[in-house]
Amino acid sequence: MSDDSKLWSKTISDVNSEILVNLENPHPAYYVALALSVSALLVGIVFVALHFTYGLGLWTFRPPVYWEVDITNFVFWVGIGHAGTLISAILFLFRAKWRNTVNRSAEAMTIFAVICALVFPLIHMGRPWHGAIWAVPLPNTNNLWVNFRSPLFWDVMAISTYFTTSLLFWYMGLVPDLASIRDRCKGFKRLIYGIMSFGWRGTAKQWWHYEAGYGFLAALATPLVLSVHSVVSWDFAMSIQPGWHTTIFPPYFVAGAILSGCAMVYNLLLPVRYMFRLEKFILPEHLEACLRLTLLTSTIVFYAYSLEFFVAWYSGNPYEWALFEKRAIGPYSFYFWVMMFCNCIFPLALWSRRVRNNIPVAFVICVLINVGMWFERYNIIVSSLVEDFVPARWGHVQPGLWEIVITLGSFGLFTTFYLVFVKFFPIVSLSEIKLIMPKPLSSKAHGGAHHHG
Amino acid sequence: MEGLTTMANTQSPDTGIIGIFRHLDTVCTAIEKVRDRPDFAGHEVFSPTSYHEIEHASGFGASPVRAFTLIGALTGTCTGFGLALACDWDWPIVVGGKTAGIASLPAYVVLGFEFTILLGAISTVLGMLVMGRIPNPKRRVLDVRTTDDRFAIFLPGAQLSSPQAQFLRDCGAEEVRNT
Repeated sequence: MSDDSKLWSKTISDVNSEILVNLENPHPAYYVALALSVSALLVGIVFVALHFTYGLGLWTFRPPVYWEVDITNFVFWVGIGHAGTLISAILFLFRAKWRNTVNRSAEAMTIFAVICALVFPLIHMGRPWHGAIWAVPLPNTNNLWVNFRSPLFWDVMAISTYFTTSLLFWYMGLVPDLASIRDRCKGFKRLIYGIMSFGWRGTAKQWWHYEAGYGFLAALATPLVLSVHSVVSWDFAMSIQPGWHTTIFPPYFVAGAILSGCAMVYNLLLPVRYMFRLEKFILPEHLEACLRLTLLTSTIVFYAYSLEFFVAWYSGNPYEWALFEKRAIGPYSFYFWVMMFCNCIFPLALWSRRVRNNIPVAFVICVLINVGMWFERYNIIVSSLVEDFVPARWGHVQPGLWEIVITLGSFGLFTTFYLVFVKFFPIVSLSEIKLIMPKPLSSKAHGGAHHHG
Repeated sequence: MEGLTTMANTQSPDTGIIGIFRHLDTVCTAIEKVRDRPDFAGHEVFSPTSYHEIEHASGFGASPVRAFTLIGALTGTCTGFGLALACDWDWPIVVGGKTAGIASLPAYVVLGFEFTILLGAISTVLGMLVMGRIPNPKRRVLDVRTTDDRFAIFLPGAQLSSPQAQFLRDCGAEEVRNT
């Protein structure tokens, strides 16, 4: 506790006033970022409109690769979405204090990343308005039910459960903060925030049930976080395709997802911390803790990559080994080595405390990790698909203009959602940051050691 | 808002006195004192965040929200397995020699698990809302400072001149006023 009072230069009385005032008046850089995001989003929308008009032929993928960048983007975005619920659920159960300043941002990131992920299977249907029928468990015209043994169907269930639970978790955390905003507003704004906060009054009983509910949600979300990317990995691992059919996939995908998610949390938090002047609330210690988690997951991913190679060699399966050889020194070696350097080699610099505290360098490392994680997905998906069991079908693909445009568009969608969110909702959880700050005790309780406000 | 409340009648659950406190330890001591007093029946405590000290001072035990979570989660488990098994029995799809029913159960664990979490999470949030008695359009915010940095004890139906008001002042309330 004595550390806490040294750490903080602010008291709980400053939380609402300073964070909410900055919400109304962001740094001009915010508007520049918003304009860039909306432009990227518009480019993506134009592509999707053309895609619906002319069909999937616009994409550059060719058989035997039936989806290349769109499934890569799907897995990439679902992975990004992992850190949010990890930080809010698992770190909540571990009572990690640094989570309280970054959890809102991470949870918002989860919601928007999962929306970005869902866009790709939807547009890949070509005619997604029929998708409503295909994606729900309804019998088809032959009266056959959905195959519940299919990993693709598990994936639909896993992602939709994850999205719903993360949304509930995120919104539940927002309720008391929306009440705080409501109590500072007048007129129409007050009405809107009042409705959104469900008329939260902050009575001791409400907090009691809220805390209990939040804890149970965290307990439910913890296995969920670990399961979602496991289920995503089964999309691959349940097949017999060399390079995919491995038992290490679930933990390896989960570690990779948390790695990219933590790097993305850092990448998003830094600009927002600057634009909304939150330096006194999101402390360097909290940012450093996020980097430590990034480093931890990076080493797990490094181990998984190495083990994958070892098992491919040790198993004596010639097809598996041929594929791994092709990944490392074949036509897709570029993707492989970008992945290795970005996910395993560059993050090693984070062992140094000086690097962790050097914000620009750490920011660049986190950007590189996100690039590396995108390449990881591309590498896994495409290198296995291009040369399957029928050599006559073998082909090669490279991402074309359309693929790059749609990826840019998905980033635009993500950052637009995020930037709009941070303008209207507090990006630091007001009620939770009050909990980790020094408690407002009277001088009597402190014995005169600490004078409040 | 104010006008409406006055017009309604004095029976409004929001009419009474409210004592504002600045410090956590002061309000906790006050809560412990008023907790069992019959003349403070129906009082409410307000807090800017979920301090456990207040929970302890109020003498709360385990929240009934846990029953919502448990029932929701178990319903989810049954729904997930039930959905898969019912479809399977209705029209068996025999893949890899796996016949209908419990022979395929391992594949349905994913579905059972996802539904457990989904319904468990939904019912937990519902439990939080139901037990916290929100949303309730009949109740209003008594003091905007309680969602910022102040604590408060509210006593419905009491007057500013009552001994209860004096008691709150003696407990260390920085302000006692009518609502």
